[in-house]
Amino acid sequence: MGSLEGILSGVQLAFSFQGILFVFLGVMAGTLIGMMPGLGPISAIAIMIPLTYTMDPPVALVLMAGVYYGAVFGGSTSSILLNAPGISGTVATSFDGYPMAQRGEAGKALAIAAIASFFGGTVSVVLLMLFAPVLSSVAIVFGPPEYFALMVLGLTAISSLADGSTLKALISAVVGVMAVTIGIDSQTGTTRFTFGNPNLLEGIDFLVVALGLFALAEVCALIINRHQSSQNKGSIGSLKLTKKEVKEMGGPMGRQSLLGFVLGILPGAGATIASFIGYITEKKIARKPEEFGKGAVKGVAAPETANNAATSGAFVPLLSLGIPGSGTTAVLLGALLVMDIQPGPLLMTDQPELFWGVIVSMYIGNIFLLILNLPLIPYIAKILAIPRPMLISLVIMFSMIGVYSISFNTFDLYLLLLFGAVGYAMRLLSFPAAPFILAFILGGMMEESFRQAMTMSNNDISIFFTQPIALGMLIAGFLSFIVPILQGIRSKKKNTV
Amino acid sequence: MLRPIHRKVSLFLIALAVFYLYLSYQLQSFGTGPIGADTMPKVLGWLLILLSLLLFFTKDQETEEDKEKRRIPKQDVIKIGGVLLLTLGYIIFLEQAGFILVSFLFIYLCSNFLGYKKHLKNMLVAVLFPVILYSIFTMMLGINLPAGIIPL
Repeated sequence: MGSLEGILSGVQLAFSFQGILFVFLGVMAGTLIGMMPGLGPISAIAIMIPLTYTMDPPVALVLMAGVYYGAVFGGSTSSILLNAPGISGTVATSFDGYPMAQRGEAGKALAIAAIASFFGGTVSVVLLMLFAPVLSSVAIVFGPPEYFALMVLGLTAISSLADGSTLKALISAVVGVMAVTIGIDSQTGTTRFTFGNPNLLEGIDFLVVALGLFALAEVCALIINRHQSSQNKGSIGSLKLTKKEVKEMGGPMGRQSLLGFVLGILPGAGATIASFIGYITEKKIARKPEEFGKGAVKGVAAPETANNAATSGAFVPLLSLGIPGSGTTAVLLGALLVMDIQPGPLLMTDQPELFWGVIVSMYIGNIFLLILNLPLIPYIAKILAIPRPMLISLVIMFSMIGVYSISFNTFDLYLLLLFGAVGYAMRLLSFPAAPFILAFILGGMMEESFRQAMTMSNNDISIFFTQPIALGMLIAGFLSFIVPILQGIRSKKKNTV
Repeated sequence: MLRPIHRKVSLFLIALAVFYLYLSYQLQSFGTGPIGADTMPKVLGWLLILLSLLLFFTKDQETEEDKEKRRIPKQDVIKIGGVLLLTLGYIIFLEQAGFILVSFLFIYLCSNFLGYKKHLKNMLVAVLFPVILYSIFTMMLGINLPAGIIPL
């Protein structure tokens, strides 16, 4: 690894005044937004994007990364205190965190979550540091066929792993790619699906889709639940843990930081699946599984370690391949593309400052999070008392202004409303939105690499079947969705017979 | 036959796909070779029809909870509609009246409409947030939001 110089330049960036300031602002904003019921990392990042337009790209990425893992961290607070997870990645935390809070040990649960998150986050950053460069050096031989196959795999994997029906997730992904075909085709110059509207020539901005499908769709759900009390009752109790409790956390933290990281790398898995699998495995191997669900220390430590480890794991494919594996990293990629950064195997050698700066800043960010979440948590938790009506108004305003500040065009605001409606309808009909946004971001790149591959092979489609890596990924992608669908059809037949 | 909602959704998606395919087949491709601007849209359109047909014929897997999600009380529908109208107003008047004024009115009216009745606090937030945001955007980020009729 001849990148010592690169690492040093990254360290320099991360420890510069700007670097430290923005990682702090990032994790702080992420924690606050992630804590809000319903607002997860995708909304948090999308809301922050306009602020980064004029920033230095490396600093902007440091900020965004901070927002991302800060939001995952922040989600645990509302899971524990309100039993209202801010994001799906912390649902598992509420299983044991909320019972603990009801016992008057909210402080303890928050402390466990903070320590477990810190541990999972830090271990996985070490792994990220080791892993990403290796993957980069492998991926450097990837050509267009491999990239195309990889993106197909990413989309089918997220569809088969998304919550609910694989079929619905795949439909969501296909419609996502359809949405990105609107506008001028960059290769042929053909105008597609614009209905003669000049505002659509450049296509739909991904921020419109991200904020609409996630933030505004959530607003509709919030309006319906507007009377739900956001106030947690009474004090949160002591934050101190006993020696026995710390000891109990050791096992789950060690195992789940590794497992969570691996699951985070896999396309489509991410924090939600990591936290559930973490919770379930710990329950299975526990000596007293009956304690789970009633406020077990391990039941809080396991999902919190796993979801934070998965968050860093998700950076591996994003930074080394340039291919996001989840909805959240897709939005991050969108933010990077706005700043003219194309992550990929060359990022490490071309922009070592950026590559290593982000990774090193994650160490600092995790320490900030520990500081924010341990002594300050009682004060930060007060933000949960913000009245729902006000929260709704503010989220709408932030979304509007975020979109307006990139295009200065009110047409995009109407589109934003449209996507908000689509997002809410999808939610009501149980169509997952993450495959849509991932497909929307990958769609353009997919078409491009498909064309490049076909040009390479003189329009012979067999290029996808003669390259072993591409073929392997396509087969894996095919199996990942065909198996669940066949199972669904078979179970139907059984029922009718 | 159309009782389970997923069948209605499936028909809607098929209609969408047909419309999309209709437009795709009208696309003119100037590219050389078989991969034109219309290739991927055609593939996507047919794929969506295939997937929607599969959806039509799958078993209804909805739980009671899923169905419950769609039963929105009339009162809430009115609230969502009202917020939608306010948001439309926000978009329509944003450029003429300016960011600060419109945002102030929006936050105040929208919070009030949704049942927040502490007028003083509401007023304070509705003034502070837009003013702070406006300052951050214009002074720190160099992004000029519409000033509108307030002389700034």
